[in-house]
Amino acid sequence: MRALLGIVALVLRTEHRALLRGFALAVTVLAMGAALLGLSGWFIVAAAASGLAGTGALFNVFGPSSMVRFLALGRTAARYGERLLTHDATLRALSGLRVRLLRGFLAQPWRVLERLRANAVLNRVTADVDALDGVLLRLVIPAVAGGLVLLGAGALLAWLVHPWVGLWVSGGWLLAPTAAFALGQRRARAPARRVEAAGQAMRARMVDLIAAREDLLTYGQLDRQTASVAQATAREADARRALERVERRAGFALDLIGTVVVGGALAIGGGLAQRGDVTPAQAALGVLAALALAEATTPVRRALAEVGRMAQAARRIVPALDPAFDTARSPTQDPTQDPIQPPPPKAPLRLDAVTTGRFAPVTLEVRAGETVALTGPSGRGKSTVLLMAAGVLAPAQGRVTLGGQTPATEADWRRAVVMVPQRHALIAGTLRENLALAGAEAEDDARRAALEAVQLTEVVKAKGGLDATLGFRGAGLSGGESRRLALARAILTRPRVLLLDEPTEGLDHETAAKVMTGLRNALPETAMLVAAHRSEDRKGATCVIALQGLPVAVRKTDI
Amino acid sequence: MTVRQRYDRGAVLTLAASLVWPLQAWLVARALGGLLAGFPTDGSAGLVWSVAGFVALGTLRAALDALAQRALADRAAARIAELRAELLAGEHATTEASTLGGPGALAALMAEKIDALRPYLLRYRPARLRAMVVPLVILVLAFWHSWAVGAVLLLAGPLIPVFMALVGMAARDASARQMAEIGTLSDLLVDRLAALSDLRLIGAGDAVVDGFADASERLRERTMAVLRIAFLSSTILELFAALGVAMVAVWTGFALLGLVEWGGAVTPVTGIWLLLLAPEFFQPLRDVAAAWHDKAAAEAVQAELARWRAQVRAPVLRGADPAPDGALVLRGVVARGVRLPDLEIAPGERIALMGPSGVGKTTLLRVLAGLDRGEGSVTLDGTPLERVVDDWRAHLGWMPQAPQFLGRSLRYNVGFGAAVPDRTLQRSALTDVVATLPRGALTGLGERGAGLSGGEARRVMLARALNGAPRVLLADEPTADLDAETAQAVAEGLLSHPGTLVVATHDPRLAQRMDRVIRLGA
Repeated sequence: MRALLGIVALVLRTEHRALLRGFALAVTVLAMGAALLGLSGWFIVAAAASGLAGTGALFNVFGPSSMVRFLALGRTAARYGERLLTHDATLRALSGLRVRLLRGFLAQPWRVLERLRANAVLNRVTADVDALDGVLLRLVIPAVAGGLVLLGAGALLAWLVHPWVGLWVSGGWLLAPTAAFALGQRRARAPARRVEAAGQAMRARMVDLIAAREDLLTYGQLDRQTASVAQATAREADARRALERVERRAGFALDLIGTVVVGGALAIGGGLAQRGDVTPAQAALGVLAALALAEATTPVRRALAEVGRMAQAARRIVPALDPAFDTARSPTQDPTQDPIQPPPPKAPLRLDAVTTGRFAPVTLEVRAGETVALTGPSGRGKSTVLLMAAGVLAPAQGRVTLGGQTPATEADWRRAVVMVPQRHALIAGTLRENLALAGAEAEDDARRAALEAVQLTEVVKAKGGLDATLGFRGAGLSGGESRRLALARAILTRPRVLLLDEPTEGLDHETAAKVMTGLRNALPETAMLVAAHRSEDRKGATCVIALQGLPVAVRKTDI
Repeated sequence: MTVRQRYDRGAVLTLAASLVWPLQAWLVARALGGLLAGFPTDGSAGLVWSVAGFVALGTLRAALDALAQRALADRAAARIAELRAELLAGEHATTEASTLGGPGALAALMAEKIDALRPYLLRYRPARLRAMVVPLVILVLAFWHSWAVGAVLLLAGPLIPVFMALVGMAARDASARQMAEIGTLSDLLVDRLAALSDLRLIGAGDAVVDGFADASERLRERTMAVLRIAFLSSTILELFAALGVAMVAVWTGFALLGLVEWGGAVTPVTGIWLLLLAPEFFQPLRDVAAAWHDKAAAEAVQAELARWRAQVRAPVLRGADPAPDGALVLRGVVARGVRLPDLEIAPGERIALMGPSGVGKTTLLRVLAGLDRGEGSVTLDGTPLERVVDDWRAHLGWMPQAPQFLGRSLRYNVGFGAAVPDRTLQRSALTDVVATLPRGALTGLGERGAGLSGGEARRVMLARALNGAPRVLLADEPTADLDAETAQAVAEGLLSHPGTLVVATHDPRLAQRMDRVIRLGA
C-alpha cells in the first residue's frame, strides 16, 4: 500500500495541473448528474402539485426546464473533457514511469543486469506499469471526487430538503461503501497475491517448456514439465475463483447499501412530508438525488477488483525506479561541480593486483598504442578482468586506474574505455543505427572506413548497404559478421582504451588476422586489452599475460 | 452443452435482475404520488409498504445479480481452462516451433491473452442480451402510458447504434494502429533489454533509453487518438441518454401542469415512474458500449488462437513398448532432406561422426534421439525405434549444440529433480565451477545460463547427459569453441561414459579416441 501511495504521489507531482483540472471536471460531472435527476424529480412533483392545485399557469416552467437541459448538456461536455484530461495525464505519467524504470535497470550492478531475464523485465515495464494506469483514473480521482460530491450533496439536501435527508443520503453513501471497500480490499489481498504468483509460475514454466522442449523430450521430462504448467494453471484458476468470490460479495453488499439508502431517503422524506415539514416535491428531490448519487459509488466495485494488482505492481516497480534520476529531469548534477578532468589522451590503463578471489591477482599496464593479450582456460576469469577494467565490476582487491586516477562515474569510464563483449549486442534496426548506437556521430565515410577495417565492406554491400535492416538481436548476420560489426562500432567511438573479449571467435584464420591488423591500423593510439584463447586474438600483442589460478601472475614479454 | 446452459443462465439472471427495476420504480412513484394525494385511503401505512417493498425488491435484484455473476464467472473460468488445456496439449504434442513466435509469445498467449476473454464472457454477452430486451420492455411501458414519452425514447434509442457504428469504424483503424505500436514497443523493449548489459559496455545505455522514450511517447499519442474516438462515441451515447431523460422530464412536467394537451394522459405517479425508467432505457446500451473494447480484445485473441490451431506441425514420436538391448540399425533414412548413411551401432560402441557443416551430422543424432523421423527404417534389435522410443529416451544422454537451460537451479538443470551425485560433477569437471557460484549447485540459471561462461555451460550439459547412467550418450559438437584445456576436460568426461557413445565433431583429437569414425558426405 505504501508503494502504491508513492506512485500516486509521483504521478500527482509530474502531472498535477492536468489532473487538477480533470478532477474539477470529475466533480462537475457527478454533481450535475445528481442535480439533473433531482431537479427533474422535483420539477415533475412540483408541477403535479401545481396542476392538482389548479395553479399551473402561475408555475414558472422555464427556469427548471432550461436548467434541466443545461445540466444534461453540461454534464456530457464535462465528462468528455474530464476523460481526455485525466487519461492524457495518466498516459504521460506512465510513459515517464517506463523510462525511469528502464533507467533504473540500467543503473543496476552489472552482474544483476547480466542475469536479467528480458521477458521478466518486459513484464515489469509493460504489464506492471499498465496495471498502474488505474491508480488515478479508477482509484484516487473517483474516491476524492465522489467523497467531495457526496459531502456537497449532503449539505445541499440538508438545506433544500431537510437536515435528516441530507445526513442520511450523504452519510449512507459515504460510510457504507467505504467500509465495504476497506473490508473487501483486505479480504482480496491474499487471493490476489496467489493469482499473481500462480500466473507468474504459469508463464515461466510455459517459457521453459517451449524453449527447452527437445531437451525435455529426450530426457523424458516433457510430460512432467507439461504437468507442472497444468498445475500452475489450476492454481491460478482456484485463486481467481476465490478473488472473484470476494468481489462478488462486495458487489452484493454495495447493491444492498444502495437499496437501503434510497429506501431510507424515501421513508425519511415521505415521513417528513406527511408531517408537513417538507413538501412532496422536496421529498422527491431527496429520493431522486439519492438515486443519482449511486453513480458516485459505482467505481468502488472496479477499484476493488484492481487494487490488489495495483498494489503488487507498485511494490515491484518502486524499488526498481532509478533513484538518482529526478522526475523533472533536473540537471542538478552537472552545472554545480566541474566535470572530472578527462584523463590525458595517452594515459595508460593500469590494473594493480586486481582479483575477484577466483584467480591470482593481476597486475598489468596498457599504454597508448599497445596491445596486451590475456590468456587462460575458459571460466578462469578473463572476461571478469575486462569487466573490472571497464569499471562495471568492482574488484574484491586491487585497483583499476586510468592515468593514475579512478573515474568517479560510469559515464566518465565510458568516455575513455569501451568494451566489446563476447555477445554481440546488436539490435533490430538498420546497420547505420547499430553503428550509431554508441553515440558516435560519424559521417558515412567514417562508417565505411570502420567496416573496411573489420573486413565487412563486401558483406555490407551484399546486404544492400548501410540501410540494410537487421532482425531482432541482429538476426540476419552470421556469428562472425555480428562480431565484426560490433568491432566496427567500437572503432567509431575512438576510445582511448579498448577492451576486447575473444574478438576473433567464429572467424577463419585469415579473416581473423586481417581484422586484428585492421583494428590496430584504425585505432593506432588506442590501448587494447584482449581476452584471447585463439592465437589469432594474440596477433600484434606487445605482451601476453596468462591468468593463473595460483597466487602469482606470470608476466611474459616477447612472444 | 452444460457449459453453454450455465452461460445462458448467467445472462438470463442479469436480465431478470434488470427487469426488477421497473417494479421498484413503480413503488417509488406510488409513494411520491401518494404524498401528493396525502394518502387518502391508507395513510402512512401506504408509505411504509412502499418502502418495505422497494427494499425487498432491491434485495432480490442484488441476489439475482450475485447469482448471475457466479454463473458467468464459472462459465468464463471453464472456457479459459479449456483453452489453456488445449494450448498446452498442442504444444506438448510437437517439438516444432510455432509460427506464432517463440516461448515468450506463447507464454503471453497462454497467460494474459487468453485471460482477455474473461471480461468479454463476463460483461459483453450479458450486456448484449439486456440491450435486446430491457429497452423494448421499457418502450412498451412508456407507450402504454404516454406516446409522447415513448416517441422520445424511440427516437433517441435507435439513433445511438447508428452514431456508434460511424464512430466505431473510425475507432477500428485507430486502434489497429495502436495495437501495432504496442506490439512494436514490446518487441523493441525485449530486443534492447536482452542486450542492455552489453550495450552498457559500449556506452550506448542512454541512447537506448532515449530511443525507447521516443517510442513510448509515440505509443501515448496513438493511444490518445484511439481514446479520443472512444470517448467521443461514449459521449454521443451519454448525450442522447441525458437529453432523453431531460426531455421526458420536461414533457412530463408540462403535461402535469396542463400546458400540453397532447401525448397521452399522465398522472403524477406515472410521470415519476416514466422519469425513473428513462435512464434504465439507455443503461443496457451504455453497458454494451462500455464492453465494446472487451469484444474487440476477445476477437483478437480468438483470431490468434485460430492461427495457432491452423498450424500443421509434426507430432512428437511416442511409443511405449520396452526397448530391447541390441544393435541400432539405420537403413535408407532420409530426414530433413538429407540422405543419411546406412549404419549399425553395436551396444557399447564409441563412434565419431565427422564431415563438413551441413552434411547431416546433427540430423543423424536427432534421428537417433527420436526427435526427427523421416523416411526409411530405424530399428533397435529388429524393433522399429518409434515403437519403443519412450523407453529408449529414458536411457539416453543428450548433449545438444546450444545450451538451453530451465529457469531453475543448476542442480535441477542437471538432475531434473533427481539426486545429482558428486561423481557426476567430478566427471564433468564442474566441481570447481559449482564452488565459485554464489549459491553453489542451487544457484538459479537464466534461460541462456546467464552467469556461466560458454565452457561452463557446456560442462553443465555434459553433467546432465552423464547423470543417471544412460545406456546411450549422444553429443553434438561437444568441444566446439572451447579452449584446449576445457575441451580436454569435456572429452575426458565423455569418455568416462561406459555405454554407447555417438559424437558429432570437427575435433580430430576427440575423434581419434573413438572406436570408429564415420565420415558423412564422403
